[in-house]
Amino acid sequence: MASSTSTPREEDSVLVQKNLFVRTLTLNRPRQLNALNFDMISRLLELFLAYEDDANVKLVIVKGKGRAFCAGGDVAAVVRQINEGNWRLAAHFFQKEFTLNYLLATYSKPQVSILDGIVMGGGAGASIHGIFRVATENSVFAMPETALGLFPDVGATYYLSRLPGFFGEYVGLTGTRLDGAEMLACGLATHFVPSTRLSLLEEALNKVDSSDFANIQAIIDKYSQSPALKKKSAYFRMDVIDKCFSRRTVEEILSALEDEEANNRADDWLTSTVQALKKASPMSLKISLRSIREGRLQGVGQCLVCEYRMVSHVVKGEVSKDFREGCRALLLDKDKNPKWEPSKLELVTDHMVERYFSKLDDEGWEDLKLPARSNLPVTAIAKL
Amino acid sequence: MDRVTWRTRVLLNHLNQLSSSSNPLSPNPCLGFSPPELSEPFEFDTKEMRKLLDAHNLEDRDWLFGLMKQSKLFNPREAGGRVFIAPDYNQSMEQQRQMTMKRIAYLLDRGVFKGWLTDRGVDAELRKFAFFEVIGIFDHSLAVKLGVHFFLWGGAIQFFGTKRHHDKWLSDTENYAIKGCFAMSELGHGSNVRGIETVTTYDSSTEEFVINTPCESAQKYWIGGAANHATHTIVFSQLSISGNNQGVHALIAQIRDENGNVCPGVRIADCGHKIGLNGVDNGRIWFDNIRIPRENLLNSVADVSPDGKYLSAIKDPDQRFAAFMAPLTSGRVTIAVSSIYSSQVSLAIAIRYSLTRRAFSVTPNGPEVLLLDYPSHQQRLLPLLAKTYAMSFASNYLKMIYVKRTPESSKTIHVVSSAFKAIHTWHNMRTLQECREACGGQGIKTENRVGHFKGEFDVQSTFEGDNNVLMQQVSKALLAEYIAAQKRGKPFKALGLEHMNKPCPVIPSQLTSSTLQCSQFQMDAFCLRERDLLNRFAMEVSQRQKQGESKEYSIILSYQLAGDLGRAFADRAILQTFIDAEAALPAGSLKNVLALLRSMYALICLEEDAAFLRYGYLSTDNVAAVRKEVSRLCAELRPHALALVSSFGIPDACLSPIAFNWIDSNSWSSVERH
Repeated sequence: MASSTSTPREEDSVLVQKNLFVRTLTLNRPRQLNALNFDMISRLLELFLAYEDDANVKLVIVKGKGRAFCAGGDVAAVVRQINEGNWRLAAHFFQKEFTLNYLLATYSKPQVSILDGIVMGGGAGASIHGIFRVATENSVFAMPETALGLFPDVGATYYLSRLPGFFGEYVGLTGTRLDGAEMLACGLATHFVPSTRLSLLEEALNKVDSSDFANIQAIIDKYSQSPALKKKSAYFRMDVIDKCFSRRTVEEILSALEDEEANNRADDWLTSTVQALKKASPMSLKISLRSIREGRLQGVGQCLVCEYRMVSHVVKGEVSKDFREGCRALLLDKDKNPKWEPSKLELVTDHMVERYFSKLDDEGWEDLKLPARSNLPVTAIAKL
Repeated sequence: MDRVTWRTRVLLNHLNQLSSSSNPLSPNPCLGFSPPELSEPFEFDTKEMRKLLDAHNLEDRDWLFGLMKQSKLFNPREAGGRVFIAPDYNQSMEQQRQMTMKRIAYLLDRGVFKGWLTDRGVDAELRKFAFFEVIGIFDHSLAVKLGVHFFLWGGAIQFFGTKRHHDKWLSDTENYAIKGCFAMSELGHGSNVRGIETVTTYDSSTEEFVINTPCESAQKYWIGGAANHATHTIVFSQLSISGNNQGVHALIAQIRDENGNVCPGVRIADCGHKIGLNGVDNGRIWFDNIRIPRENLLNSVADVSPDGKYLSAIKDPDQRFAAFMAPLTSGRVTIAVSSIYSSQVSLAIAIRYSLTRRAFSVTPNGPEVLLLDYPSHQQRLLPLLAKTYAMSFASNYLKMIYVKRTPESSKTIHVVSSAFKAIHTWHNMRTLQECREACGGQGIKTENRVGHFKGEFDVQSTFEGDNNVLMQQVSKALLAEYIAAQKRGKPFKALGLEHMNKPCPVIPSQLTSSTLQCSQFQMDAFCLRERDLLNRFAMEVSQRQKQGESKEYSIILSYQLAGDLGRAFADRAILQTFIDAEAALPAGSLKNVLALLRSMYALICLEEDAAFLRYGYLSTDNVAAVRKEVSRLCAELRPHALALVSSFGIPDACLSPIAFNWIDSNSWSSVERH
């Protein structure tokens, strides 16, 4: 029987619990909702790399301490670097984070993420790429980047683009929140386990002695339920989502939604969807749409390389400084009133969008170099 | 990577496998699938290469691919953990036709056709082409059905019609408020449009035209859209005004009412099941003296006054007829382009398969060898890949001269589009057959696309102008250019014939590898062939004329030279587009690999066209050197094969199960799942 062999130190931002064949990593910055800072990312990268070579590790469990799994990357620190004129440091943060995302997406051993709380941005990147994602009634998923002047990154252009129909465009552009049942329905989660049964599930998983995917799946299946979607779930609006979010441009998406709204007065969902798009950074919306669309045709590695180009442009801020502005308005000054520049969709030209997808013309800047991965398992190539 | 390191690596891989499987106690392992991406590194930026090949509207293309992939209407099917989209060709003809219309309705609703007829300008036209190409990659029926409605029906109204027709029809066509078709071919007359037998007369008492099918051979035939869906058609007929035949004219006639019932005086029958394109409802139409308003004559070239007078700005009936053929040019452009996309899909599938499928060992008990590591397999596929690249550049050139057309460029567009349409579609059919065979039995399965494409794309060789007739027209146009230049004693200055003004190129007696790879040498050889064949053709025709034959009959008798000349013109024009594309690139890996492909394209043409030996442009020694160089180039291109087909940018979903994990997609568990 497996047993705990080490006592984690409370001050560690990633707690490690070792059992015979299982490692449980707990993100441990509960006051910051476990937001990933540079150290945590480095630590996770180091641990996952070591576990891959360690024949005694058959399964890795990832969870969060407190009410969040992980609320995202530590954006506040990144913006501080940008404001101090050090965009390269900021880019370096994303470089590290995307490398972690790639490692998880191509990981040869099973990863079970227990998403009992908030899963946003970087938190999604640390879990959705893994093979098993367990949602609960406490799960809250979102990719809220467009409201911050950023775009869905951490490999989201890969996994959002693979959601059913045009649900990915909807989730990525509006930053809408999904609950556990919705996550399961659209495939972001593979299982739904009530939080009261999580400890039993973990206990059972801790007895695993092989990496056999089918066996682990069977164990999680045993504790899983099929939750009902709430009446007002966006998932029931799939026809409207497909109809509107399949449009070619952000402008056309917005006008299709507004047409729907005109025909269905007092539809709260439509109103809030339109509002979300109107509040988001126009630049963010346009680059996000394009990157999700491109992501649909790319492997996860290509997606991350592209996202790294984009995020480098974002932090360098030559085309638009919306990321700084978004963070100022939502995280620092908290006036919730960002002044986007360009201020309107029609002012964002194709040429400006195009620039985000090009290499940076800056000495020393390089495309994201993904670590070589030997013999990618089929499960690592496409999951959703 | 140079060839030596490459070979070393291949051998090393084989040896490594040998040692790992040499344990006599371990059971013979089942064949495993390994994605080719793991062992085939990309040595140039495939995204940049795709930009060169697709040339325009890449983002729009990907949006449309996504639109199709996300809808159940496009028949997504799971195999080996991936989703593929392709029509269900096992459906009946009627079901396939219904699905085509449903797909059109879906794309219409998503705004795909917005501006196809109502927006003007180069950008709008290029976007339309891009969408049309993407649709053709999914299904040729869907593309042809749209092509008839937008390019033929819509194009006829745009080009032959005047403001009153544009205002009345274009927007309704774009929204599918009406469905158009294009009744030109007849049972008795296809490529020879001037011989059609349908007759239109004018009744000045009611100010109406009367259209009639006077005999069975005059029934309209192969009219796409006519059998089930079209509400309106363009009718081509002889226009007889007060007993004078004014030649072929185009009119608009309604053939079905809003409820889909065939109009009185119109009879329609189905062309029946076909070897491909069963999603298109080709039909036959008979007209029994139906009456249509005077305004329905498409009158940009000629009109009939209310009291029945024939009026035309163009007095010469030949020129008038030529003006009527204008919309067919856009058809030839789209066919020339779409045939190359079909070749791209089939090569991507066959080459991906050849990088994952092994057969036979070279040593006793040794590991089996990858198909594409056999030089013979390389020689089957890689020259076709090089030609497909060359013709992709040629397609882009053709599209650009078409969208930027001026009255002065119309002759060039006519000649180049005819030549490229014939050469590209022939190349595609050949490529499909080779790829089908290269996939072995798997190539037979409809789900693997390449075999099925043969039936779907075969028609391209004859519709919108029979390839052989088109090539004859190319030679005729070149001859006319030759005669005009001689008569005026002026230099050639059109159709790329300027090289005829220079001294005749000389081919060195010894051809080294570096000479063979030099674009100047390659162009010299192509020009030499074209110039000599044109001289010979002109000479032979004039000799026959001197012996008393008519000019037309002389040209017909000189068909052998005419055929050789048409090909020589096309090959040279294609090579020129390749050289131009290459020249626009900065030095680097992309340019280097294109140089290899260009050399392969040029040398395989030298090797394959017997004209080089027949007329002595190359010696037997030269040809032997060419052959050796082709084989060497195969080995040099081999390491780039995967990157070259990945650069096509065809989404995985539009390839097929054998292009990926064909063991998983054929496993027993996959049988149980479905």
